[in-house]
Amino acid sequence: MAKAIEIEDFSYGYPDGTSALSNITLSVEHGQKVVLIGPNGAGKSTLLLAMAGFVKGTGKVLIEGLQINRKNLKKIRTTIGSCLENPDDQLFMPRLFDDVAFGPLNMGLEAEQVKLRVADALQTVGLTELADKAPHHLSAGQKRAAAIATILSMAPKIITLDEPDGSLDPRNRNNLIKLLGSLPQTLIIATCDMNFAAVLADRAVLLDKGRIIADGDAKKIMSDSKLMTEHGLEVPSVRSPKDHKMK
Amino acid sequence: MHHAYIDKFAYQDSPIHRLDSRVKFIVVFVFTAVVISLPRTSLSIVVCYAVGPFTILVLGGIPLRFAFKHILLVSPFVLVLALSCPLYDKTPFTVAFGPFLWQSSLGWVRCFTILGKFVVTMLALIALVSTTRFNDLLAGLQRLGVPKLLVIQLGFLYRYIFVLIDRAHHILRARAGRTLRSLGFKAELKIAGAMLGSLLIRSIDTAERINIAMQGRGFDGRWRSISKLQIRRTDLLFALMAASFMLGLYIFVRPVLQ
Repeated sequence: MAKAIEIEDFSYGYPDGTSALSNITLSVEHGQKVVLIGPNGAGKSTLLLAMAGFVKGTGKVLIEGLQINRKNLKKIRTTIGSCLENPDDQLFMPRLFDDVAFGPLNMGLEAEQVKLRVADALQTVGLTELADKAPHHLSAGQKRAAAIATILSMAPKIITLDEPDGSLDPRNRNNLIKLLGSLPQTLIIATCDMNFAAVLADRAVLLDKGRIIADGDAKKIMSDSKLMTEHGLEVPSVRSPKDHKMK
Repeated sequence: MHHAYIDKFAYQDSPIHRLDSRVKFIVVFVFTAVVISLPRTSLSIVVCYAVGPFTILVLGGIPLRFAFKHILLVSPFVLVLALSCPLYDKTPFTVAFGPFLWQSSLGWVRCFTILGKFVVTMLALIALVSTTRFNDLLAGLQRLGVPKLLVIQLGFLYRYIFVLIDRAHHILRARAGRTLRSLGFKAELKIAGAMLGSLLIRSIDTAERINIAMQGRGFDGRWRSISKLQIRRTDLLFALMAASFMLGLYIFVRPVLQ
């Protein structure tokens, strides 16, 4: 069986010549929860965009064995769902229901199937009651959950999330951790918050200046204070979801 | 940030809210066309037409204060136009409202008629927007044959105007926090230009990210939606009553009051 994600020697530079990603080689198994950690500007968001075929560089990116190219793009985007950093960019429809239905409708599903998918996705994130609300009437936590629902309704096998914990209060952050922890999909999460990363991930990939510095067991990497400090990060003060709740 | 949303009452439930958005849109469209087409000196008949939107607002549970507050917000543009009428047209004119008669100038009559038409048509528009969810209105427009591209643009406008207002507020606040003295008109103008430029660039960035979000969810240029609009008997009854009201005033009351 093909791996969920396989990246071989991938490099990408911005139009002004600045290198964003250099010789990235990474493979992710199905069901893994991987955090991409690193300081601001390390290339985490660009790597997530590359995984969904939004940036084209040199090297290979394979999603479930399919190489990203124009021919495979439609199939790939039903396999990998990308949740952007700002939920306001993700929620562009005038009503939450239509936003969650947007993906399934573009997949060519029948109206009844779309309604079922939307109902399931909204129930998973706990927003069933708000289906008819306009996104600008939602709170920050609700927007974040809604943005995840827009991806879940497409039933992707892989989900990428860019800084999903940004500007969330502790209660909403705990709810998000619970939600992400309960998802069976392969998760790739980019974050600068080490406590958030520590409670969610099995595996951590440390990026800095567009290169992979370390890749392995999340606890092991994130407890290496020398490595973390060298790359502008900190050792998390929590190790498990239980600890995180107590904090 | 909390905005004074124009559609803040659209999520209520009332007989008016339950009406089909297409019927409400057509009624308001025709009503506006009829009121605008009234002669420039027919103030009394314009006042009679106000009964229509007032009734819809009351039945829809929309506070009149809310409606008038929004009319006031956009009134300066019309005020300039209306108040210029008495300056250039001083022809004597006898105003009649049923049995009551008094002398004025044609300019003042035109001024009040313009203001009257503005208030009445705005009330109708506010009644429509306050009793119809925006997505239903968009679905209705699409079903009425309005080009999809225009409907999509309206949807984006409604969705992102609040985000844009928030950003503009943040920029203004950041500027105010660092403004300790007046810099003079030229410098202020330069800063305002830079602020507008920043807002424009951020808007372009946002548009690019929205494009990514849309493509990521399989958007291929075709807009698909699940519309659940349905015209029922109550909608037809409402349309019939509205048509009778508009025609009745135009045919029977207008000749008496003019």
